[in-house]
Amino acid sequence: MVVSFIDYIGKRVLDFCSGLGDVGVFLYTALETFFTTKLKVRKVFYFMNYIGVTSIGIIFLVGITVGAVLALQSYIGLERFGGSQFVGPIVFLSMTRELGPAFTAIMVTGRAGSAITAEIGSMRITEQIDALQTLCINVHQYLIVPRIVAGTVIMPFLTIFCALFGILSGYFVAVYMLNINPELYMETIRANVELSDITHGLIKSVVFGFLVSLVSTYKGYVTRGGAKGVGIATTQSVVFSNISIFVANYILTCLMFSK
Amino acid sequence: MIELINLKKAFGSRVITNHLDLKVETGEFLAVIGRSGEGKSVLLKQIIGLIHPDEGSVLIDGQDITRLKGKELEKVFKKCGYVFQFAALLDSLNVLENIGIERIEEGAELDDVRPIVIEKLRSVGLQDDVINKFPDELSGGMKKRVGLARTLMLNPEILLYDEPTTGLDPVTTKLIHELIKKTHEKLHATTVVISHDIEIFKYATSVAMLHEGKIIYKGSTKDIWECTNPFVYQFIRGSLEGPIDVELMKRT
Repeated sequence: MVVSFIDYIGKRVLDFCSGLGDVGVFLYTALETFFTTKLKVRKVFYFMNYIGVTSIGIIFLVGITVGAVLALQSYIGLERFGGSQFVGPIVFLSMTRELGPAFTAIMVTGRAGSAITAEIGSMRITEQIDALQTLCINVHQYLIVPRIVAGTVIMPFLTIFCALFGILSGYFVAVYMLNINPELYMETIRANVELSDITHGLIKSVVFGFLVSLVSTYKGYVTRGGAKGVGIATTQSVVFSNISIFVANYILTCLMFSK
Repeated sequence: MIELINLKKAFGSRVITNHLDLKVETGEFLAVIGRSGEGKSVLLKQIIGLIHPDEGSVLIDGQDITRLKGKELEKVFKKCGYVFQFAALLDSLNVLENIGIERIEEGAELDDVRPIVIEKLRSVGLQDDVINKFPDELSGGMKKRVGLARTLMLNPEILLYDEPTTGLDPVTTKLIHELIKKTHEKLHATTVVISHDIEIFKYATSVAMLHEGKIIYKGSTKDIWECTNPFVYQFIRGSLEGPIDVELMKRT
């Protein structure tokens, strides 16, 4: 019983280390390809459109609802202490520093990351990736790098939209529903917000974009076992992308915002 | 020339290729036969480097591809063409882009590639009207011919076919076999065809049988009918009586 438990733990640890090594090799190959071969710019734009434009609707919806809820919740809490004028800075800072980048990355994971994994995974199980290799086509240059570059580049733009929609919806809720003075609302934002709050949020979004596209392409690339395997890979891709977003968010917040 | 020396490949505890030796001379047309699950496709994928052997060497024109890397390996691969069992066409690309993909990725314009693609399509018996179709608009036989046309774009010296007639009706099977033969004669390419179908004996010059990870017979397609090896004897006659059947009974 004890031996089998230790055996199970040991196997899981070995699997984890092996998986980490595989991701490392995959990342190294992708970076090496990025720096040593010509970037397929047309493909990058195609995937920026695929990841970005198709996600705008859902980003809009998430942005306005999160901004509105944030304004309402922070008003309820702050009013008890007579600080309702700080609703503006709270909505602004939350949307630019935390919620904008994180929610955008989570939505892109669900909307585009899963689709990338399913597409590359299907190509793997139907031998399309093997076919590319037999034709001497660099699979990383053709399939992987354009998606990673597109995901990394487009994420800050989506984050800006998400934060903007959130801040605007927060403004409308605060001014028209909670009757906060609009000039006071804007003044407190100007007084409490720094440029670094925005730039640090955008740096986060770049990292999240890289992580989501790396995990999505990797899980697709190593898919095994037919249609069921594609389903498993897609689920794992969403789970691992979200975990990596939360872990990276904590690390980046510690590095950038702690004093 | 392809030479496999002491080739071994296992997946976990299951040994697929068991210290296998095989030589295919330049210009030879070899059919590799064997039961389902014997590892014929794994053998073919080791020749082209899609699967790396655990032990042994794969020599292509004297160069051991298991020891080559980068550009040197690419040079050897450019000599080889691989036709997949289910064609493995890229489903997001049309026929023109599928066949011309290698040239397009090297920077050629579609309009420059189009005449060469049309020539290759005609050489596999297809008309120009399929050029804008996507793989899901093609029949099984057409897909396989497009797959062959894509491989022919490389002008390969070695052609490897992985069960090219699986899932096709007898007429299309004959058509594909004739096409393989015609391509072999035209290119004088070293040709290896994996097949279950003993009809391939009519077209190939030699045949090898894979059994339990080893080549148990290699000889001419005419001589195989005289072979006394009980596994070969039973397999090529499709008989239920013999050691293969006994083994299956034991397993069940």
